[in-house]
Amino acid sequence: MLAAASKKQYLFIALLVIAAIVIGFWEPHALIYGIQRGSLYAVIALPLALILGILGVLNLAHGEFLTVGMYATFVLFSRFGVDPMLSTVPVTLLLAVVGVAVYLLTIKHVLKAGHLSQLLITFGISLVISELIKSIYTTQPRGVFTTYSYSSTTLAGIRFGTYEFLYLLIAVAVLVGLQLFLKKTRLGQATFAVGQNPRGASIVGINVSFVYLFVFGLSIAIVGLASVFMVPRVSIFPGAGTPYTMKSFALTAMAGLGNLNGILLAGIALGIFEAVVNAIPGGSGWSDVVFFGVLILVIMTRAIREGRR
Amino acid sequence: MLEVKNLDVAYGRIQVIWNLSLNIGNNEVVGVFGPNGAGKSTLINAIVGVVKAKSGEITFDGVPIHNQETHTIARGGIVVVPQNRELFPAMTVKENLRLGAAYIPHARAKMDETIEYVYSLFPILKEREKQLAGTMSGGQQRMLVIGRALMSRPKMLILDEPSLGLQPSLVTEMFQILNRIKQDDMVILLAEQNVRQGLKVIDRGYVMENGRIAMEGSIEELSEDEHIRRAYLGV
Repeated sequence: MLAAASKKQYLFIALLVIAAIVIGFWEPHALIYGIQRGSLYAVIALPLALILGILGVLNLAHGEFLTVGMYATFVLFSRFGVDPMLSTVPVTLLLAVVGVAVYLLTIKHVLKAGHLSQLLITFGISLVISELIKSIYTTQPRGVFTTYSYSSTTLAGIRFGTYEFLYLLIAVAVLVGLQLFLKKTRLGQATFAVGQNPRGASIVGINVSFVYLFVFGLSIAIVGLASVFMVPRVSIFPGAGTPYTMKSFALTAMAGLGNLNGILLAGIALGIFEAVVNAIPGGSGWSDVVFFGVLILVIMTRAIREGRR
Repeated sequence: MLEVKNLDVAYGRIQVIWNLSLNIGNNEVVGVFGPNGAGKSTLINAIVGVVKAKSGEITFDGVPIHNQETHTIARGGIVVVPQNRELFPAMTVKENLRLGAAYIPHARAKMDETIEYVYSLFPILKEREKQLAGTMSGGQQRMLVIGRALMSRPKMLILDEPSLGLQPSLVTEMFQILNRIKQDDMVILLAEQNVRQGLKVIDRGYVMENGRIAMEGSIEELSEDEHIRRAYLGV
């Protein structure tokens, strides 16, 4: 966990910056859009990585929690006229509670049961959540319109949306917040210790079950935070969050487990990559193929390299 | 101080410890000797709550602890030095040591004082305080894990084969250090295969075989026993 930025990481940053400059000249919209989308991917991937790194559970219901957050924001808006920006606190808290409840009812009981049981139970949770949403709100797409989310500005003759830069801001804030939490607080140090060695942590008096509960609740709360800011820009339907599970996993795998900074970098890299593919005429359908193609390549290279060691 | 009564421990259907009783008094250093697979580590795991007893009772200062979780037992004053070390490899030596005290209220208050004590026992840890624990040699890691346990200011220290895998010169050094810790009035439960060295530290000992206590006695009784002389001391 939390390896300091290595030489390789600086190299990656350098390559990313060079690629960004080149793309910036060639297709500035792709660059801007890529950074915005990539930051969003990173905000959503960070909590998945946290749960995977500390609890060792790959949460396949990750995207469904995102959907729950979207619907919560939508309900607050349509029923009570609450602006999405004002929903930030209540929805984040609500998702923390949902996360804690789901943890206590399910995840807690499969922590020692092996990865297959964990995958199956989180997959089950994802189905339960999406079916529940379908039965309450039907499959009809919903939306929340706010004028500010479509504001744009023109810079050097390039016109682009400004709202989605919020994603970058939030990504950096969440990342810095998490790093400070892990390094500077007692609970954070306990979390870091549990991530490395749960048995060692319990020997020094750390309440490991509480750390697991807290990390799960915190992670789902971050998912809730992300969902609020997505709502003004996306259409809300029962499967709206689903694709983000695998995207988050892709970023976590690319960054390497425990490398939180790497997730933001990987997110931006893949965001730009995706935007470039989309900018190529006829390329729009290919972005997911490219996204997961890169993932498979990265995982395979890593597996082969580790195999040689 | 610690009392184990009629303890049975099983992993699934396989019973590892059978009706075991032992006790450790105040200011006592007690050895548990036995070959690999005798159940020494399982006994320790049961005492510190890593495995749950099937039946029987474990009390510490009169309080039953067999249903408590490991972290509660640690806060209550029993700290273990596990055989496979269980360090935090991505943290520095000093961070590992500080973690030993950080989550135990009475130890946290004396953290700086205790760290000096640990450094006096293991000067190498001071030299390497900024090194990552995962990059140290096996012997140094063993010292670190003992240091981390001392940081918790335990009432009782449990050591699971502290000499395992160490080179001979380090084994001697390790037992010298254990003697120093003993002189600082620490209650110790020492599980060992190295009976010859172990006898230099303990006040009293048990011999475990196949999950049962095979023998109990003072240093003299143990070192003069014919079976122990042949099986463990190679005489």
